[in-house]
Amino acid sequence: MFENILFFLSAALCIIGAAGVVFSKNLMHACVLLLASLFGIAGLYAVIGADFLAAAQLVIYAGGVVILMLFAVMLTGGSSDNSNKFGIEKIPAMGSTKTYVIAGFSVLVISFTVLKLMANFMKSYTKGELPAFSSTVEKIGTLLVTDHVLAFEISSILLLGALVGAAVIARPRKG
Amino acid sequence: MSPSINDYLNQFEAHRKAIGFISEVLGFDASGLVTFLVFAVASFLVVNVMALVGGLGTYAERKISADIQLRQGPNRVGPYGLLQFLADGVKMLMKEDIFPAQADRTLFNLAPLLALIGVFATLAVLPFSSGFTLTNLNIGVFYLIGVSSLVGVAVFLGGYSANSKWSMLGGMRGASQIISYEVPVTITILSIVLISGGMSFGSFVETQGGFPHQWYILHNPFTFIAFFVFFIGMLAETNRAPFDLPEAESELVSGYHTEYTGMRFGLFALAEYIEVFVLCGVAAAAFLGGYKVPFDLGNGVVFVEKLGLPAIIGKNIGQLLQMGSFLTKTLFLYYVVIWVRWTFPRIRVDQVMTICWKYLTPIALFNLVGITLWVFAFDGQSIWEVLSHLGGGAHGGGH
Repeated sequence: MFENILFFLSAALCIIGAAGVVFSKNLMHACVLLLASLFGIAGLYAVIGADFLAAAQLVIYAGGVVILMLFAVMLTGGSSDNSNKFGIEKIPAMGSTKTYVIAGFSVLVISFTVLKLMANFMKSYTKGELPAFSSTVEKIGTLLVTDHVLAFEISSILLLGALVGAAVIARPRKG
Repeated sequence: MSPSINDYLNQFEAHRKAIGFISEVLGFDASGLVTFLVFAVASFLVVNVMALVGGLGTYAERKISADIQLRQGPNRVGPYGLLQFLADGVKMLMKEDIFPAQADRTLFNLAPLLALIGVFATLAVLPFSSGFTLTNLNIGVFYLIGVSSLVGVAVFLGGYSANSKWSMLGGMRGASQIISYEVPVTITILSIVLISGGMSFGSFVETQGGFPHQWYILHNPFTFIAFFVFFIGMLAETNRAPFDLPEAESELVSGYHTEYTGMRFGLFALAEYIEVFVLCGVAAAAFLGGYKVPFDLGNGVVFVEKLGLPAIIGKNIGQLLQMGSFLTKTLFLYYVVIWVRWTFPRIRVDQVMTICWKYLTPIALFNLVGITLWVFAFDGQSIWEVLSHLGGGAHGGGH
């Protein structure tokens, strides 16, 4: 029962946050709501026993990504003023009738395709037993340096590239 | 599930009997309900005691600063002015609640709450004693880093939402400082994870001993440096002097909480003092042996065997000793933090970034490599064990 409660709370937080991000007109509010949504996702990870993933979600998104987004929004002027100096609304509406029709049609097509693909598993769906999680940290660590060492190394090269790029951009220019 | 205070209670016959009795009275299996109640009571206790510690922290700060500056400090309310923090709290509650006209009201309200939520969430994994830990998550320290980063978001939002230049500058400084100093602090904690072989606070503390030479700070030369890296990074993460740039009163009036009045300001202050306590506790658990008591008095076996006490009393005496040990170390570090604040001048904002990226981060990385090599070369033994082997070798082999 406890896990159900946790699941529903996290899922609600996740969905409400995500909907808020879309409907909020203030970019700053959208960022904070995104934080709530990401917390909900961390909660969902915790429900399925992926505790390391849940904590990583908190560290990376709450600690890093959201603060960086807030910074970026603030430095580029995240104003709540919707109209420019001529009184014309700066942010246009999300779309016209044409775009809504096209989007709705593609959503229908895609969802039917996905449902058709998933029909096989859905019919023979039995609730599986989760394996005993003694410590996911050990398991993730072992897998990262054995089976998935290529992905691990590629992501480390990506990070190194980002680090070098940041240093190059930030270095003082002479002359 | 991870071991928690509930598992500690479950080992006692009396507790199981009580659950059985409640189950009989209510007519269903009450173990879930009792678990919930145990956690509710324990969380309530921890949060309230920590709020008290935060309040007394402000008193300690004023009293110690007064001592250092040859003043009296608060001495009117209660004995030795001990109740001054209550008077301050009442004062905060009575103050007028001011919203700046151009402020973003939602975020302005949210920011102090986020700060307090982030700090209180870290209390869940703080190891007060081997039994009285709310939960000994196996990713404990990682979780703590994750939820405490909410404070950074709160500082930033507090600075942004007030729509004042002082606040904005304070908030930006705070956020950049907090995310920068997270790097050396996390790397340093990672090096302790390497030695202890686990990320939970339980595994940190249980692999250390009661005596100083068994603590991780004296485990090898690298951890000795690592402790100071962690301590400096910790000061910066909690915005304490000499890193109190976000609230530098001589430049920014009061930094990110310039526009906050009354209890909203009080929440920010409370969150800061509790966060200092939490991070001092982390330093104590990771480097200073945490709740370990010398001669293994902490597990209470001695009291049961030698003094003939019942198991429940012996164990609980052990727990109290452990809690005393943890609190002594933590409060000592707390004292050092306050002492540092009133002794060192504030550093400049460019020096903050220089210290982090040009000194602490390389030192932390060097330490990480050094500790990895040490653990690999000496099979995780501390320097004292290695030296004693050398001594033994000299005796036997005639070095």
